[in-house]
Amino acid sequence: MPGFLKEFFNRNGMGMGLTILGLVLFWTVGLIILPQLSMLDFSFRPNLPPPEIGGPKDVYTLENYKYLIFGPEGGSQDYNVVDLKVFYRTLIAAVFVTIFNLILCYPIAYYLGQTKGNHIRIFALMLIIPYWINEILRAFALRIIFGESGVLNTVLMGLGVFDTPFDFVRNDIALYAGLGYAYILLMIFPIYNVIESLDRNQIEAARDMGASWWRIHRRVVIPYAKPGISSGCTMVFMLSAGALAAPQILGGPSSLWFTQLIYQQFNDNSDWPQGAAYAVVLLVTCILLVLLAMRLFKVNMGDIGK
Amino acid sequence: MMSERIIRYSIWIYLGIFFAYLLGPLVIMSITAFNSPTFPRATPWECLTFEWFSALFQDQRILNGIKNSIIVGLGTVILSVSMGLAGALMLTQIWPKLRATYYTIIIAPILIPGVVLGISTLVFWDRINRMLGLGADSFLSNGLFLTIIGQSTFIASYCLLVLVARLQRYDLALTEAALDLGASHAQAFRKILLPFMRPAIASAAVLAFLASFENYNTTTFTFGEYPTLTIELAQKVRYGITPAISALAFIIVALTVFFALINESKIKRKEQVMEARKNATVAELSKGVKVPGFLSGNPAAIVLVLFCIGSVAVVGTATAYSPDQCIARVKEQKQIEAEERIKELRRKRDADNLKKFKGVFDPDEISPEEEEAPKQDNNSGFGGVFDPNALSGDDDAQDGSDASGGDESGNNSGFGGVFDPNNLNSD
Repeated sequence: MPGFLKEFFNRNGMGMGLTILGLVLFWTVGLIILPQLSMLDFSFRPNLPPPEIGGPKDVYTLENYKYLIFGPEGGSQDYNVVDLKVFYRTLIAAVFVTIFNLILCYPIAYYLGQTKGNHIRIFALMLIIPYWINEILRAFALRIIFGESGVLNTVLMGLGVFDTPFDFVRNDIALYAGLGYAYILLMIFPIYNVIESLDRNQIEAARDMGASWWRIHRRVVIPYAKPGISSGCTMVFMLSAGALAAPQILGGPSSLWFTQLIYQQFNDNSDWPQGAAYAVVLLVTCILLVLLAMRLFKVNMGDIGK
Repeated sequence: MMSERIIRYSIWIYLGIFFAYLLGPLVIMSITAFNSPTFPRATPWECLTFEWFSALFQDQRILNGIKNSIIVGLGTVILSVSMGLAGALMLTQIWPKLRATYYTIIIAPILIPGVVLGISTLVFWDRINRMLGLGADSFLSNGLFLTIIGQSTFIASYCLLVLVARLQRYDLALTEAALDLGASHAQAFRKILLPFMRPAIASAAVLAFLASFENYNTTTFTFGEYPTLTIELAQKVRYGITPAISALAFIIVALTVFFALINESKIKRKEQVMEARKNATVAELSKGVKVPGFLSGNPAAIVLVLFCIGSVAVVGTATAYSPDQCIARVKEQKQIEAEERIKELRRKRDADNLKKFKGVFDPDEISPEEEEAPKQDNNSGFGGVFDPNALSGDDDAQDGSDASGGDESGNNSGFGGVFDPNNLNSD
């Protein structure tokens, strides 16, 4: 038995040690690592009926990835324009949702982090309450508001801004509002946690030396809050790129999110390997984009999740 | 200081807008639960009704979904809290070189999209199932099992973060002392560590249950034959929405606010008791400290009591109140409105036709600015064929086309109503 394990069992006792080790191994290996590897493996296989799995036809192939790029064989177009466009649009939209959320939440997080008082507790409670309510119901609430005969249209028409109802759903405004809404909390809390620990004297000092408020934020607060900002942005980006409920409920009839394509492959086409390949592409691209952004903004991986 | 005041005001305006964005949708959704139209809408307000609540409680699929959600929730709480605790204990003891890798692995599920987790769970257990040679109805492909496993993958990470925060403040010497005094490892764990961790375990469990209850992305791939509440809701919302969903949302919102208030007033109460103890003399302490009443100086408790009274009152009115009369009245009003509109249309059309007649039979009476149009009318050839009124089916339109048809046959004109400006915009 290696020294590390021996020490571990000495410290925890045989029974406890085995329980802890077993649970941790089950979680890390059985629930996290193996399923991901299994999905990766699955994405390289052809779509076969169950009896043929493991048979001679079950060989590794790049077919599923080729499909995403080139479309069905003998198709009318050289590239799979529809799916690639959806993929591209999803990533761009997720970036915009992240930026929108950052701009929306930074002032709130700063205010909550730097103000003391009883009302801060109430604000925190008001922030959390919407997130105890089902994701679907949150999207549903926005759909009531943005619908053709919804509250927003009634109000705007009453004010005389529009003559005819504006179709927020078809123009994807409802979708972006819904995605932004869904992840506000994930953006606020990491930033709030960091800013709360910022010494107020630093801000005072900068102000005494004559810095404008804009300069204070750019030179003092934002550099200090960088780990919080980056972990908030990472979470919001990953989750909005991987969102399924909001696009299904708030997306217009013609607009698809990439996760909806994956869902279709699994549920409507029952082409699991194809769906797995799409999922792998989504996951890998998102991780690469996050790593790229972290390099651009000079943030370490270790800062995230703090 | 003018600029400072402006900044202060703009902060409050910003906070107002922000919380309106955050809470407004929930308020509006709650309102729609009490409005009578079958499509959930807050405007126009028609009738106060409670029928959506009874519709909700009669919906078998929703009730079944709630049952499945609770089973999945309990399973997920047990599995993810124990895995999270084991993971946290491991994190404090692991070989330093492995630590960063280990941490990345156990935190990764938070960042992996839920869709990917669902797919990988489904694919992996399907393969295990096949390798063991089990059929499609085995335990391993059971929807409840897969959903619990899939959700626990990432919910355990949430639990871990909550538990690690508390575990870092644990003094290992306590366990060592217990061991020195002859406790077994299991006893030391149960009697020393577990009581210390209890608050964190409780909050991790609540968090896990809520996260499981609202999960959609992972569950949608794994639920099999056991749709949870969220799945049922999503299907209902996608294929036609009714205010019964608003009613459910309202119940959840009310419960959430209720528990939040209880929690808040408890915390405040604790603070008050602490405060009272701090100021008390030794004699007072031994006799029992005089503690302020439950409601005094505790706004959350006051709101809580008001909230309870309010909900009792609402339930009371709900059992006694019948919206039938109001609904009948609104229906009648709508009918009247519709009739008015039809009458209006008919009047307009009659007026139009009258003008045409006048143009044909009595040119002298036309007002000067309309002179051009009726003249073309007179020269028309195709009669009422192209008259848009002839295409619409309802009765008064029929009258209209009859009239204009008669008009054309009467004067042998060339292009009928084609060039008549009235025809182009009459509808």
